[in-house]
Amino acid sequence: MPRWSCYEIPVDTGLFTPLGLQPTAVCRLGFNAAGRWLGQHAISHRRLVAEHRTGLVVWSAQLAFDEPVGFFDADCLQMRVTARVRGAGTQLECVVEVGGPLDARARLQACCVPLRLEGDPALSGIPARLGPEVMAAFRPDEIESPPHRSPVPALRIAVVRDGTAQAQGRMSFVIRRHQCEVADQWFWPEAVSLAAGAREELVQAEAERVPLLLSALRTPVRRLDLLFNRPFFLFDEGAVRSSAYEWEGRLVFIHELVGSDKDQPRALVTEQFSLPKERAWD
Amino acid sequence: MIVHVNGALLRFTDYRRVISVAAPTVEAALIKLADEYQPLRTVLFDRRGRPRATHRIFLNGELLKPDQLASPAGDTDSVELLLAISGG
Repeated sequence: MPRWSCYEIPVDTGLFTPLGLQPTAVCRLGFNAAGRWLGQHAISHRRLVAEHRTGLVVWSAQLAFDEPVGFFDADCLQMRVTARVRGAGTQLECVVEVGGPLDARARLQACCVPLRLEGDPALSGIPARLGPEVMAAFRPDEIESPPHRSPVPALRIAVVRDGTAQAQGRMSFVIRRHQCEVADQWFWPEAVSLAAGAREELVQAEAERVPLLLSALRTPVRRLDLLFNRPFFLFDEGAVRSSAYEWEGRLVFIHELVGSDKDQPRALVTEQFSLPKERAWD
Repeated sequence: MIVHVNGALLRFTDYRRVISVAAPTVEAALIKLADEYQPLRTVLFDRRGRPRATHRIFLNGELLKPDQLASPAGDTDSVELLLAISGG
């Protein structure tokens, strides 16, 4: 049986919106939970970087919400986390469940690519397999041969091909230090924040013309998928190009996060919202 | 030439983004830059003094291969330093 770490954290109002747990908060809690699992069962994140010259960069993530969990539901959130190696040491995958007292309400699956760090103060590195001393910290049933494949490219193709386009927008941004991690590289949950901000701007700009979009403010996101190409760094300028579609009874936003130079793709975020069965505006 | 420093490298140049360096080649400019900003030396160069493979170096928008760093460059040429990825 793969090992799990289970613990609870007290809720605070900053983890929530009126609609439930903040997706960005779940990503931040999830990354921290993965670090907890590594420290308890394998090698701490700090030692991985400092002693084993191994960095971890999130490449793909999926976040799915079941019933929303709200601030007033419980005093504590129940956290469960496990991790495993995939793709012959080319990936480290973490699964984090966040829930109320009785059941899990949100599930984050994040796939990291290991980097072999050069050893310089900028923590520069290149993608590499996990070293044998790191692999030895995992049990056989925590090592899986098939690599993780991101569902985002196929999802994007299906939504664009079969969905009905509703609206498009663009939001510019600059990466500030509070959005970065220890190496002045953006912290990956910021992709969720930037996408959500762009979606809110798009809804406000277009809701009068397309009332359907209001579902993305009235209801919580049910599923998020993220795929990262290249990171942003401190003071990098970029933009979120957002497109909204109605697809298979859902409202789907496709957010392309691009660098300001020639709109180079950096990350792709999809958000899915349930649509009400009866719509007052129809 | 004009060297543009970005992102994760800024803290090693005291947050100066655009720096004029008088040097005959791109590699000479990087060495001179590292002389002026000492914390940048171990970031840009490995123990053997070779530029680290983790950096992307552009001359007037063209990505340079390691063997092209000896390319001559003039006062008005633009060099951009980018860190491809870091592992925090």
